[in-house]
Amino acid sequence: MKRVSILLAVFLMALVIAVPNSLAGEFTIGSTVENFKLSDINGVEKSFNDLKGEKGTMVIFLSAQCPVVKQYNDRMNQVVADYKTKGINFIGINSNSTESLDWVKSHAEENYTFPMLIDKDNVLADKFGAVATPEIYFFDKDSKLVYHGAIDNDRKGDNITTKFLRTALDEYLDGKAIKMNKTKAFGCTIKRVEKQVKNN
Amino acid sequence: MKKSLLTIGLAMLLMICANEILAQKTKGKTAPKKAPVTAKKTTPVRPPANLPKVAQVDAIELQNLLKREGENQKPLLVNFWATWCAPCIEEFPDLVKIDTDYKGKIDFITVTLDDIEEINTGVPKFLQRMKAEMPTYLLKTADEGETISAVYKDWQGGLPFTIFYDGKGMMVYNRQGKIVVSTLRSEIEKITSK
Repeated sequence: MKRVSILLAVFLMALVIAVPNSLAGEFTIGSTVENFKLSDINGVEKSFNDLKGEKGTMVIFLSAQCPVVKQYNDRMNQVVADYKTKGINFIGINSNSTESLDWVKSHAEENYTFPMLIDKDNVLADKFGAVATPEIYFFDKDSKLVYHGAIDNDRKGDNITTKFLRTALDEYLDGKAIKMNKTKAFGCTIKRVEKQVKNN
Repeated sequence: MKKSLLTIGLAMLLMICANEILAQKTKGKTAPKKAPVTAKKTTPVRPPANLPKVAQVDAIELQNLLKREGENQKPLLVNFWATWCAPCIEEFPDLVKIDTDYKGKIDFITVTLDDIEEINTGVPKFLQRMKAEMPTYLLKTADEGETISAVYKDWQGGLPFTIFYDGKGMMVYNRQGKIVVSTLRSEIEKITSK
């Protein structure tokens, strides 16, 4: 009995240690997204599983005020139009604590056809490790992260040489491995709630 | 006599015409050479003298700026920002204050990610308004992702981004998003009081 309780104690300790580690762990390529629920701009709760696409799901962190997002809106909407018919769904996320619901709502209604969810207290952004806008997380049909990063390599759109996102989507839809599955681009930092700001 | 006068007259007329044609041709030939000179004079290559100068750098030039080579180098503080980035603008007065307070003790440069069109307008105007004296560079690179990773591997590209190196070029602090002034100041104190 004593041995069992020691084992149980060790097991519980291991759990306590393991849980924070897994929470703090990087949300990397290959990670599976657990179903999450957030309110949309009309206050209706939506879940990832409700919104996910037959072939895959794009989660896009956006902002109603970021000029980089504005520069990307047209190209992003074109991607949405081109891949929606191929079984890929799109979910916009606004995690900025500084942007009011009214603002986000009107911006989304004017600019996007896909649902926009409000990530209050940037819980999802923290879970994903999202830092900037626009930032893309593309999940395959099994909800595994297969692409993370930018839409293309030129914010202004004048000098695009690599369409990272389209290339990744085409490779994925062709059943190939995505060659460039992680990219970076300059963007606006997500404005997190004060309590979440790390003291550095 | 009359005939010879007419011949002389005709010859003179011909010479005048030939001169004219020659002059026209020469003009035509030199015109393109002159054109760029005039264009250079009219194109504003520098901001007005009272505006701070902002130099354009590419990815390699940026890497060289961040290097601390040789003995007795000062620590280096670098802030990446843009005039379109709201939190960058908000924290800028704090950075100017830090520059004033640690002048001579650290080197401080800022790197803007603004569009190249802003190099003589929006960027220097903002710096002037802020009374900023830190040397400022505008980064123009074909591969932003690679440049971001080369500066710091965990930087995802969010602005502002602030990074602090000691005199040997070792990174001692980095921050994506607005700085916490007290934390950055204490890091600078730690390094400069050594």
